[in-house]
Amino acid sequence: MLEVSDVHKSFGENDVLKGVHIQVDKGDVVVILGPSGSGKTTLLRCINFLEKADRGKLALHDTSLPLNTASKKEIHKVRQSVAFVFQNYNLFHHKTALENVTEGLIIGRKVAKKEAEKIGREALTKVGLSDKYDAFPNQLSGGQQQRVGIARAVALSPDIILFDEPTSALDPELVDEVLGVMKNIAEEGTTMIVVTHEMSFAKDVANKVIFMDGGVVVEEGTAEEIFKKPKKERTRQFLRRVLPEEYIYSI
Amino acid sequence: MAEGLNISFLWEAFFIALSGVPITLLVTIVALVIALPTGFILALSRFYRIPLLRQIASVYISFVRGTPIIVQIFIIYSSIPLMLDILFKKYNIGINIYEIHPIWYAFIVFSFNTTAILIEVFRSALQSIDQGQYEAAQSIGLTSVQAYRRIIIPQLLVVAMPNLCTATVNLIKATSLGYAFSLQEITLRTKVAANMNYNYIEAYLAIFIVYLLLCSAVEYGFKVYENRLARYQLRMA
Ligand SMILES: Nc1ncnc2c1ncn2[C@@H]1O[C@H](COP(=O)(O)OP(=O)(O)OP(=O)(O)O)[C@@H](O)[C@H]1O
Ligand SMILES: [Mg+2]
Repeated sequence: MLEVSDVHKSFGENDVLKGVHIQVDKGDVVVILGPSGSGKTTLLRCINFLEKADRGKLALHDTSLPLNTASKKEIHKVRQSVAFVFQNYNLFHHKTALENVTEGLIIGRKVAKKEAEKIGREALTKVGLSDKYDAFPNQLSGGQQQRVGIARAVALSPDIILFDEPTSALDPELVDEVLGVMKNIAEEGTTMIVVTHEMSFAKDVANKVIFMDGGVVVEEGTAEEIFKKPKKERTRQFLRRVLPEEYIYSI
Repeated sequence: MAEGLNISFLWEAFFIALSGVPITLLVTIVALVIALPTGFILALSRFYRIPLLRQIASVYISFVRGTPIIVQIFIIYSSIPLMLDILFKKYNIGINIYEIHPIWYAFIVFSFNTTAILIEVFRSALQSIDQGQYEAAQSIGLTSVQAYRRIIIPQLLVVAMPNLCTATVNLIKATSLGYAFSLQEITLRTKVAANMNYNYIEAYLAIFIVYLLLCSAVEYGFKVYENRLARYQLRMA
């Protein structure tokens, strides 16, 4: 359903992406793992054109676009079907939870206000915030804010949602509520690409795990394949660093 | 002074000063209407480092900042008629430049001056807005114009409001320099009335009170508006 290939991106001298290829099918939950600085965020941002890649192709459904020279109109079209959940939520500070969710519907999609509010309330209820429609972001905990961020993405009924480390800005006790919501929407069949350091989420929810390092995809496979029998030494080293001890022993 | 204050003239001067308020406000409002959008666009050009426009903006700002308003007034008041004269003669336009109403000069001078101030106000407000707000807006399918109109500008106004208030109050006060080109505003009207009997103290006192009232009212208005805009920043008790 979504395929990006040959993605190259550098910032000045720093070659961050060096020919990345990933493919996602409908209903897939793809988790991208990798050490800090390996280009995971940059890859997601290139897919949504928040960053302009130097080279590469994006195929979505049956259209194919160059990542570096797509027109504004084409980019707008892609964004209609690809939603983004940010590491630091990026909720609109001056809008209530409900307004955050309906903004993209009313302004971006021209959905009637009544209808948008109905969709918005459903989305907020889905993430467990039916009592927070009128709260402003700074009246919400980090976990609640991120759940609004997820509702904002879900409400647009995108074909795919990109998550960039959705829980890494949260206090540890708030991580589970967000992962729980993500698990729910994954089980509903939402296609998603998730960059995360939460190995339990990768193990339990992902049907495909991609390990990136140094701007390339080093290895990919099912969670089982990557965690239990990684083929590449770089993957093994990384997993040894990040996996909890008991998990290592159980391998 | 020996006879003490002439209370009845003070009272009279107060109303004369008040009669200058509409002109003062008109100049202030016209200057703001011109300076707000122009200042914002030039602030964007500096923020996004748009070549040429950004250099022009920067020279313009240093010119306005580095010179007293009264000097700007003298320059504009003396150079514009010269330029217009050449223009009018060339195209045979039958307008006598010496009959141009001084309020037009006021509009030009104070828009020119306020725009420069607002460029800096908006630029620093722009810098305070997290880039993530813009990216989030784009990611939900807003165009750049929609993102600015719906997301960036409302937040930016809250940040800029205290400085906009200061700029407006400074502008109101600066219009008193309009006497230099015979603008019939608060100061000039009252001073002219004082000339008759040398009641300068009373006149100045009346002018003082009227500006104080006017500026306080404007500041109060800004406060109310700012609080309304910034509702979202209030934490729940
Ligand atoms: N806007 C930018 N300008 C310059 N360099 C950048 C920019 N964004 C990212 N980089 C650089 O690109 C490299 C990859 O960054 P990226 O954020 O994609 O890594 P990441 O895999 O998401 O890391 P992390 O796990 O820390 O989030 C880093 O070296 C970073 O410094
Ligand atoms: Mg990252």
